[in-house]
Amino acid sequence: MNHGTATSGNQAIPPQIDMQGPGKRGGRKFIYLSLAPILLLFGVFAFLPIGWSLGLSVFKYNPLSDSALFVGLDNFIRMWSDPIFLKSLWVTFKFVVIAVLINIVITLMFAAAIQRIRTGWLRNLMRTIFFLPTIAPLAGTAIVWSTMFNYNHGLFNMLLGQLHIAPIQWLSDPHYALYSVIMMTLWADIGYNIVLFIAGLDSIPDMYYEAAILDGANRWHLFRHVTLPLLRRTMLFVSVTTVVSYFQAFAQFQIMTKGEPFNETRVLALHIYEQAFSNSNMGYASAMATVFLMIILVVTLVQLKLGRTEWEY
Amino acid sequence: MNAYKKAITAYEALHPDVKIDYQTFPYDVYNQKLKASFSAKKPPDIAEMFGTWVPEYAKNGLLAEIPDGDQLMNEYYEAPLGGYTLNDKLYGLPLEFNIENGGMLIHPDMLKAQGISQPPSTWDELVADAKKLTIRDGNRIKVKGFDFVSGDNITFTFLSMILQQNGKYWGDNNHVNFQTPEAQRAMTALTSLISGDKVADLTTFGGELDTSDYFFQGGSAMTYRGPWSIAAGLNTYKVKDFEYVPVPSFTTNPPAFAAESGWGLVAAQKSKQQQAAIDFIKYLSTNDNLLDWNLNTFTVPAKKEVAENPEFVKANPYMETSLNILKLGQWIGPIADRDYFFKVINDHFQLMTSGQETVEAGLQNIEKSINDSQDQHK
Repeated sequence: MNHGTATSGNQAIPPQIDMQGPGKRGGRKFIYLSLAPILLLFGVFAFLPIGWSLGLSVFKYNPLSDSALFVGLDNFIRMWSDPIFLKSLWVTFKFVVIAVLINIVITLMFAAAIQRIRTGWLRNLMRTIFFLPTIAPLAGTAIVWSTMFNYNHGLFNMLLGQLHIAPIQWLSDPHYALYSVIMMTLWADIGYNIVLFIAGLDSIPDMYYEAAILDGANRWHLFRHVTLPLLRRTMLFVSVTTVVSYFQAFAQFQIMTKGEPFNETRVLALHIYEQAFSNSNMGYASAMATVFLMIILVVTLVQLKLGRTEWEY
Repeated sequence: MNAYKKAITAYEALHPDVKIDYQTFPYDVYNQKLKASFSAKKPPDIAEMFGTWVPEYAKNGLLAEIPDGDQLMNEYYEAPLGGYTLNDKLYGLPLEFNIENGGMLIHPDMLKAQGISQPPSTWDELVADAKKLTIRDGNRIKVKGFDFVSGDNITFTFLSMILQQNGKYWGDNNHVNFQTPEAQRAMTALTSLISGDKVADLTTFGGELDTSDYFFQGGSAMTYRGPWSIAAGLNTYKVKDFEYVPVPSFTTNPPAFAAESGWGLVAAQKSKQQQAAIDFIKYLSTNDNLLDWNLNTFTVPAKKEVAENPEFVKANPYMETSLNILKLGQWIGPIADRDYFFKVINDHFQLMTSGQETVEAGLQNIEKSINDSQDQHK
């Protein structure tokens, strides 16, 4: 099946702006002026803290103390024998893998279903309904879900009771706690990806579907051989942003479980926060944050490498 | 909150040149707020602190020394003062005795229904009564016979059971030592209440409600909790069908116990009004003012004369059980990271009761984790 016009070695057309003479200097000044606020913002609130954190990671530092003790790589060595760090690393990966996979499958299904709705207002309504939870503050959503997970009076156990099934300790049973938080996260978050996937699906030209139908393709073939390949760029964007976002998940864990029971919901972001601000181990927390940054960076680069496309339509 | 406002108003009336700006914060953010203000070198002149937090501030020179420390130290019980003392100097004064041991909530009707005429007076009686009082519904416990499974009480009970055998749990260099026969016996007895005697379980541990809430809802017959939980029964649940009685010693020795230093007041070293700040702390710590404060806040007095004042027990008859054992309290010790200390013991307690770890291995792991943490904070 022809996937359109492959244009590997894509040549960008150079902008036709005359940048010679005084105009060139003025243009540059305009560019610098335009970029200055955002670069300043990034510098102060992103790059400076990252640099500061990198520096702190080689010190033993308690914010209440006037001095910091240089410990070299001790903080990095310590974390590999810290069972809670290793556990939180495992929990983080487990959370990201499960939540991202389910998120992408569900959102793609919903997006495909909504995209097939031909009635304009109904389509917009569905899109709005699914997007609504995304607007709600995550902390508020987490509190509401905590009440629904309540053992004695929560909605889910009431439903189980109606079905004559024994109640579950949704947030304090080590077998269920992480999945309960995943459930809440998906509910709160899927709207965003649904909208992205709908946009991606809308951008696929109808001619490919028409050609495939003429070739005798059924619905599964259309999805498998037309939709999925042509949605690859959207898929890459969605998966990269979702993975990064879920790696950084914090509020729902802090509010719903505080990492318990048995550290089964102690994601790395929460562990770093507690080490830094509850236990005053700023240096150790910074070392963990540095490792975490590297992990996210590597995972993202791998995703970009694997998801790279060299075609357009 | 009203107790502080009352004291501030009275102090300001006596000192017209002093104006105290009273600010409150939710508990969840308070410790971090304090750390941020002290590390930014803009601390409050006076701060309320939990005793266990104080050493970290005191050893970094952030708190003002309270004068006449030697004399004041004699006026207070040992346990509440421990956290406020560094190198024999006082860096604040406790307002309350934070006691989680020695007393338990009981439902007398539940005991009578099982033919138990009076609360247990020995540990063996406690276990036997707890077994009788436990009501099961299939594999589930419907009413726990003796509930001690809370974030505080597992650790406090364990430490106290060591002390009641005349044992110790602190070794050298601020390290804990849980490899003693006393620690082994204590943890074995404690875990067997769940795994062998089955008088309580872990189903509500870490949940939204406190063990005292489950007690007042009828979920347990006897619940090990501090006297502060009495107020919840009287004010929140509006019930009076309970008593607060002594928990028997694990041995024939008196019921010694470990306690953290509770809430108290400190003055910042960097305060520009340090003298006035210390003066207010001393003012609030006079016998009459403390009596008033403890009565208004339903807290156990940290100061001997206030605790022994007949007016206090007359106004708070439920507190008598706790007041009788205050002199047996020992300071819990130089714990560097309170939350971590309790969490490690609680986590391994669950592993031991569920058979995923032996008591020996559990105690070894607890000791190693806590001592690593102690070293990190040196």
